[in-house]
Amino acid sequence: MLSRIADSLFWIARYMERAEDTARILDVNYHMLLEPLTVQPQSVRLRWGPLVAISGDQARFAGHYEEADANNVFEFLAFREDNPNSILSCVQMVRENARTIRDRISRELWEDINSLYHTVMGFKPEEEIEVGPHRFCNAIRFGSHRFHGVADDTLPHDEGWHFLQAGRALERAEMTARIVDVEYHQLLESAAVASDYHQWMAVLKSVAAYEVYRRQYHARIDPEKVAELLILHPQHPRSIRYNIAGLQAALRAISGSHADSYANEAERLAGKAHETLMYDRIQDIFARGLHPFLTQLQRTCRSIGEHVARTYFYYAVVT
Amino acid sequence: MADGEPRLHYRKIFSELATMAAGQFDERRQLADFSFLLHGITFTVYSDGRGTERLFPFDLVPRILPRSEWDRMERGLEQRVIALNSFLQDVYGPQRILKDRVVPRSLVYSCRHFRREMIGVAVPNGIFAHISGIDLIRDSTTGEYVVLEDNVRTPSGVSYVIENRAVMTRTFPRAFQIHDVLPVDHYPAELCQVLRSISPRAGDSPVIVLLTPGIYNSAYFEHTFLAQQMGVELVEGRDLLVDSDVVYMKTIRGLTRVDVIYRRIDDEFLDSLAFRHDSLLGVSGLMGAYRAGNVALANAVGNGVADDKAIYAYVPEFIRYYLGEDPVLQNVETWLCSKPDHLAFVLEHLDRLVVKAVGESGGYGMLMGPSASRTTIGEFRARIKADPRNYIAQPVIPLSRCPSYDAHAGSMAGRHIDLRPYCLFNGDKVTIVPGGLTRVALKPGSMVVNSSQGGGSKDTWVLRGES
Repeated sequence: MLSRIADSLFWIARYMERAEDTARILDVNYHMLLEPLTVQPQSVRLRWGPLVAISGDQARFAGHYEEADANNVFEFLAFREDNPNSILSCVQMVRENARTIRDRISRELWEDINSLYHTVMGFKPEEEIEVGPHRFCNAIRFGSHRFHGVADDTLPHDEGWHFLQAGRALERAEMTARIVDVEYHQLLESAAVASDYHQWMAVLKSVAAYEVYRRQYHARIDPEKVAELLILHPQHPRSIRYNIAGLQAALRAISGSHADSYANEAERLAGKAHETLMYDRIQDIFARGLHPFLTQLQRTCRSIGEHVARTYFYYAVVT
Repeated sequence: MADGEPRLHYRKIFSELATMAAGQFDERRQLADFSFLLHGITFTVYSDGRGTERLFPFDLVPRILPRSEWDRMERGLEQRVIALNSFLQDVYGPQRILKDRVVPRSLVYSCRHFRREMIGVAVPNGIFAHISGIDLIRDSTTGEYVVLEDNVRTPSGVSYVIENRAVMTRTFPRAFQIHDVLPVDHYPAELCQVLRSISPRAGDSPVIVLLTPGIYNSAYFEHTFLAQQMGVELVEGRDLLVDSDVVYMKTIRGLTRVDVIYRRIDDEFLDSLAFRHDSLLGVSGLMGAYRAGNVALANAVGNGVADDKAIYAYVPEFIRYYLGEDPVLQNVETWLCSKPDHLAFVLEHLDRLVVKAVGESGGYGMLMGPSASRTTIGEFRARIKADPRNYIAQPVIPLSRCPSYDAHAGSMAGRHIDLRPYCLFNGDKVTIVPGGLTRVALKPGSMVVNSSQGGGSKDTWVLRGES
């Protein structure tokens, strides 16, 4: 497989995941904030900021807007073309990457990506801001689900497909780490008590983990348990552990290395992170500090991304 | 032919269309357009800064070629492709045709696309013109098909032949039940056969790649389409490198040797060491590998000398010289401004002629005498006088018309058309998918079929066993 094609597949999956995660966060938080019980002016102001923080673009946001409110956060995260991480930009990047390798993906997958692109381009920001993000975010969520369904069903599960899996797992692990990190940080800073419950519920819902939580813990929402679920759950498809395991498996499938060895730095780092997530308990992590733990994890994710690129995508200039 | 009365071979499709309600036809049209949009069969216009994608207008009324017309055309095309290839072998080899003074040596050597680097290069199987697109028009006064130009560098458009057919069969399934239309979708397989046959390395599985300039090229869709249909890797210049005169592609497992390159990049951009130094599209050192015989290119480098518009005038002579046959398809009468008597005639009749710059293609550098302003004619007169070798002139040929749907009027009307069949040559025989790309000038009265100027395309049917 050409390095360039592997590179594009990896990034198609990452951008698609970024678009979906952003849509989920936006949709759930927006609606939680509209629930009358929790609408208290100070908490509202507090709540919109973190959404921008999760996207990692505070500086760019500040360059465009005075203050974070429902409308401009929605516009910024969903539609702004000068925000490279906006949902619109991500979908454009998915399609642009797919276009350069359309001979290598199935026709059905290309058509699916293309139709998602046309759907997204067809939304009019003014109208959507008027009706709220649900309709738009739903379209993204469905689009992402459909993408993975079509990819699973129409692509050969060869190394190219493993690059897709690796890209999605890496992006999701990093995104979940950032969500938990930002939310925790936010809650420690604010003295808000009444809205805690709703905020954590929103976090769970944004990563489709609310029902799982209820079944698993049968308890009222406890922030530590939420963290445990999102970081350490071995089977929940959005937990960090699950995704690091998936990443490790995809990287191994690509290199063909055995379970007790690693073929490159990316695999070593993924393996090491997975060990920690398997054997650390949530109380151990809290004892050492959640924030440093999550920061380190995000750094590891970025490092793995770089090493994947160095191992498989880049060639030193040969003369 | 009286207006309003379809020719014999169009009757069946017309009675079929006539049974449809007006709204029904529009519905089918939208279905077809949607299908093109969904498949991303578009070209990009960057005028608004955002890169708007447009569809190539597709006219749902097929162009139908009776078998007898097609058979004759096919014979003429075969002959022409073989003669063009023989000319290229000769002009970069023994140059017999120049020694025998059939073509002036100065005309060949002054051609912008003549590549001295190719003299004496042994191309695999002696094939230069693996893929040719020969543009034909039907003179509506005589009913004869004549050759307007030859394209033996990197002709494009064949993907539309196949996609148009695919869309037609989905949109009008019934029409294909009542007509016996010859298929066209075997083109990629035939092309792949030709590419396999020129591999310089022994063995059953040559590594073939299609080299594209990238997504911003207007024919990018076609590049992806052909690569996918042939099951070969689509590469950009940056995916390849040359080491010790061998071409490799960069894969996730290291370097893989490449044997055959179907290149859709022009000669000038192919190798920054041999040609344009500022080109980032090609592969440095590629010409070295090619000359060393370690990689095959299709089409060969230097083919532009054969489709030069002044050389074009000699193609009927090539057919006589190399094949000892009379040409089946005639040329359009052509005056070469490099000949003093022709030049004098051209300058006197500029307002009645079409003047073309010889090295250009795609409708650039052209003067349409009858519709041009005095100033434009004056400008061309000066340009021609300054560089006569660079210009040729032809009479204005009234293109034939074909019934087409006029979306504004909501009715059928005759529109001017041309035809580009695609010819594959493997050294022994010429293979042509029946028909080719019919382009249509959708604006009333227009003779310009280019997509950038309101042109569209049609599905082209050759009917089996009907005359």
